[in-house]
Amino acid sequence: MRAKGPDDTVQACSDIPLKSYYTAEDIPTAHAARTNLAPGEAPYHRGFHPSGYRSKPWRIFQLSGFGKPEDENERIKFLLKNGETGFIMEHDRNTADHCYNVDHPEVLARREDVGLTGAVMQSVRDTAICLDGLPMDTSFGHAGGAVVQHAPFALAAYWTVAKKRGYDLEHLAGTGQSDFNLTYLGCITKQQIPTDAGLRFNADIIEFCTEHLPRWVPVSIAGYNGADTGLTPDQELGSLFANAVEYLDEIKRRGRIALDVAARGCGGVSFRASIKIFEEACKMRAARLMWSDLLEQRYGITDGRVANLRIHCVTAGSKMAYQQPMNNLVRGTLMAVSAVLGGVQSLGVSGYDEALSIPSEHAHQMSVRIQQVLMEETGLTDVTDPLGGSYYVETLTAQLVEKAWGFFDEIQSRGGYLACLDSGWLHAKAEENQHKEFMQTESGQANIVGVTMAQDDASPFEIDGFIGSDDAFDVALERLKEVKRSRHEQGAANALRRLEEVCRNDDNIMPVMMDCLEAEATLGEIGDVYREVFGDWRTPIQS
Amino acid sequence: MTPKRILMAKTGLDGHWRGPTIVARALRDAGFEVIMIGMATTAEIVAAAIDEDVDLVGLNIGGHIDVALRAVDAVQSAAPDMPIFAGGTIPPHACKQLEEKGLEVFPPGSMLTDIVDSANRLTGLSETQ
Repeated sequence: MRAKGPDDTVQACSDIPLKSYYTAEDIPTAHAARTNLAPGEAPYHRGFHPSGYRSKPWRIFQLSGFGKPEDENERIKFLLKNGETGFIMEHDRNTADHCYNVDHPEVLARREDVGLTGAVMQSVRDTAICLDGLPMDTSFGHAGGAVVQHAPFALAAYWTVAKKRGYDLEHLAGTGQSDFNLTYLGCITKQQIPTDAGLRFNADIIEFCTEHLPRWVPVSIAGYNGADTGLTPDQELGSLFANAVEYLDEIKRRGRIALDVAARGCGGVSFRASIKIFEEACKMRAARLMWSDLLEQRYGITDGRVANLRIHCVTAGSKMAYQQPMNNLVRGTLMAVSAVLGGVQSLGVSGYDEALSIPSEHAHQMSVRIQQVLMEETGLTDVTDPLGGSYYVETLTAQLVEKAWGFFDEIQSRGGYLACLDSGWLHAKAEENQHKEFMQTESGQANIVGVTMAQDDASPFEIDGFIGSDDAFDVALERLKEVKRSRHEQGAANALRRLEEVCRNDDNIMPVMMDCLEAEATLGEIGDVYREVFGDWRTPIQS
Repeated sequence: MTPKRILMAKTGLDGHWRGPTIVARALRDAGFEVIMIGMATTAEIVAAAIDEDVDLVGLNIGGHIDVALRAVDAVQSAAPDMPIFAGGTIPPHACKQLEEKGLEVFPPGSMLTDIVDSANRLTGLSETQ
């Protein structure tokens, strides 16, 4: 919405009224003293390192993958060649998110969908193909496992391939995800383990990484998946930290590892970078401040190395328009600017064809080029926290922090973040916001260029959706048969039996998951164990 | 008057619910009764359309167009007069294939008022254009 006059009421997305200009008097008193701090000083809203991007540019980190494992491998190599500085493995939603093999009836009914959103990886052999020739030892890798029940398999597969190549897990750098926002809020699967079992899995992963993979980010909470479902920026912040305390409280209750080590592990998070540039930049500043205050006040942790929140950002997919898709290059650029102004450590820019399909090779290349132009040509990297001290930015940062803690407290009063997922309360919040946003567009209060104004169907806007490979299902089915035919059958059966025992007791699931992958147990067989032991999450909404 | 009934289903296993939920709300606000069955196979969609005695079928499509076309064919074969409309992340080539089967298609950026108008037309509440 565009303000037309000085007295117009304009609201930030977080329902904070915006004035037409700001002065020093507007900065809330409690925050005013903090505006004089330098980057590197707690609570780190100005950034963790005084030299910022001068000493370490952000990581260019794009979601990537489709089709067969070799298709995904080829695309990742293409991105690395074009300047990506880490890599992300996407897994096929049909199989991975549900822990189904391709011969499961739900998948057979939709065989053409297989491979459309990520590569099919049902055994460690598939993961090895996807990782063939990729720099696992020197590059930061995202192993996939975005959905909670899939994470132990995806991580164990990646680590098993690394071990087979002779890499020491202790030196391996990368990230897992197992994101509750994606799994239980934004992209609800047809079948999923309940949230309490998911919490146990994530705590197991955090403990396992602490012991064996100190450079690995065990789990990564994605505010993005709450925000792109409808949560406002203040709610994205509040729910992310409400999620983080569920993990840390559980780790504390279990008492197996030091809490500060776990907290460091939980401090690799992601946010959505959306189109309201200043509010989004303030959100990243607010996030660092809140994490530092939260660790000190709730857990007594003051070590700066732990309080250093590392933020990955993805530009808002839902802001990318279907109509006139080339306009999305501008939107992607501006959303990336908001993230960089907010001082994030890692960034993915959604493809200009986001509203049509997964990215084409060209769209992917442009997402990398946008980041390279920002990094090399614009001077955005010259000065750390360039917005710091702005009356407006400091005021909005403080207001966001206050509203976000309000949302955090509301979640706690309703039994905590998991309870708010189980009850559907967070879904209702997101839906209400979505509805409001749609109504603003429908009523003409807010415009979308090329959609509600400046419509024009003519070239050069015409593109079509990217179609991946057409043989992902057939190849996956053949490979599934082959692995079952040629593996040591008794070894796989024993590993799966031990997995079931561990699922029924309190042991850490990860050592036995490593055994399962080593024994070439398949994704669907592991999913069958979960379904037998944990049952299904009772979805609070009908999607 | 008894409200007209609309079945809403997702053809794929991709659980993004933002789009169909917003559309369902707009349809309910306009007086329709909406039956959401979520992710469903072709067989489940056909069975629900008949069991629930609906006046219109709405498909949310987020995957390969062949999966959606199979569902469309099955509904049209089981209930030849049943109108169907579709929405979702549907690229232009796939929109065309659905339109050729007589569907009204609403890709991202469609206005809710246009979707409600379409539902009114397809269920006979307003005159067909």
